[in-house]
Amino acid sequence: MKSYSQIQGDGGSGVAEQIADLEAAIARRMAGIRHVVAVGSGKGGVGKSTLTRQLGAVLAAAGKRVGILDADLNGPSQALLGGVQGVPPLPGEEGLLLPVSRDGVKILSVGSLLAEGEALSWPSASPRHTHVWRATRELAKLAELLAAVHWGPLDVLLVDLPPGPERTVQFADFLGPQAAVLLVSIPSALARGVVARSVSALAPLPNHLLGHVENMSGYACAGCGTVRPLFPESKEAAELALPCLGRIPFDPQLAALSDDGRAITEVPDAGPVAAALAEAGRTLFERLEEVP
Amino acid sequence: MKFLCVPCDSQMRLRATEESEPGSLAVVYECPECGYEMAMLTNQHETDMVRSLGVRIGPAAAAAIANPGQAASAMSAASGETSAGRCPFSAMLGGTTQPEAAAKPEGPEWTPGALERLEGIPEMVRPMARAGIEMVARENGHQVIDEAVLAAARSRFGM
Repeated sequence: MKSYSQIQGDGGSGVAEQIADLEAAIARRMAGIRHVVAVGSGKGGVGKSTLTRQLGAVLAAAGKRVGILDADLNGPSQALLGGVQGVPPLPGEEGLLLPVSRDGVKILSVGSLLAEGEALSWPSASPRHTHVWRATRELAKLAELLAAVHWGPLDVLLVDLPPGPERTVQFADFLGPQAAVLLVSIPSALARGVVARSVSALAPLPNHLLGHVENMSGYACAGCGTVRPLFPESKEAAELALPCLGRIPFDPQLAALSDDGRAITEVPDAGPVAAALAEAGRTLFERLEEVP
Repeated sequence: MKFLCVPCDSQMRLRATEESEPGSLAVVYECPECGYEMAMLTNQHETDMVRSLGVRIGPAAAAAIANPGQAASAMSAASGETSAGRCPFSAMLGGTTQPEAAAKPEGPEWTPGALERLEGIPEMVRPMARAGIEMVARENGHQVIDEAVLAAARSRFGM
């Protein structure tokens, strides 16, 4: 009796062929992107999405061609942060064209497709078992979008990942070895511990780990212009075994701008946060250029 | 997955797929040598497994995937749907027509070329794209959506 490998083709199901063709289509679509950066956090609530958006803004202000892929299909935020909520992607000559923020960043986010408060549904043939295949189906949906999007030439594509060490690893694997990884932390023992876990989880992957950006690194006082500690000093906080590419203070003004879909670069004299973001963006791009 | 006709030691060929009952897919194979036919009937979990891969069973889907513009359409509804999404099972069945293509849309009429362009983008994007384009058509007093209206919509949304 013949074995599996002795039989040529799949008898007509076309499953393996479809998956291979889809991967080839994604590779073609992303061929014009110079650097792909997966921005993960390990832990939710550290300001990863806001930081991703504002890093995109400072890179764009520095003359880079930037795109943002909101990989969090169930909790999309980049459409709102980019001020393109309700702006649909549209069919173009060469593929799906994306909404563009006022500062010129192309944004692919499910938030452009859903009304505020609406969520994607993941219907299942087997009731109460949507959890079994959900992650796979999310990635299949993301692959479908990536196979259709016409990004055009980009210097940087920032990928805003869902939170969680396992999700960071999953998406780094999905994006392939050419995607570098940037982690976002905050100066608390709890958050650093989770980020350290992400570092360990990423270790077996070939993806280049660029470093981390420490968000909420102090509080930028609008009154006196100084930066003061936001979290108590903790000697127990895990030391992250990776370079710090920047420390971004917390600033209520940035939170307000983000809710309004505006970039920090749209505000003149935005203070220490703008300077810290610009410096982090510069350092990030330098690191990307150094990656072999 | 491959199927082998043991008496003939010959690979069986996919002949047809159909939804045998809600949540179950029937995939019929036949032996090219002896003509023997068999059907694989999936349970709900196996149906979900195939759906999770974002593929359709059958050669027609594979042909569509070869064109990147068509790929998304062929992969559509495999996972994640907006409230405007269609039956998730339909994407798995070869020969299933796209309801949007068959149904006469309300509002402005679409030329075949413009409609083809719309159907070339992922299904989860289509409802919003359609609404945005039709809004632009109405704003400009167009009764028919053609390539020029698509271009106007792209311009209107800053693309």
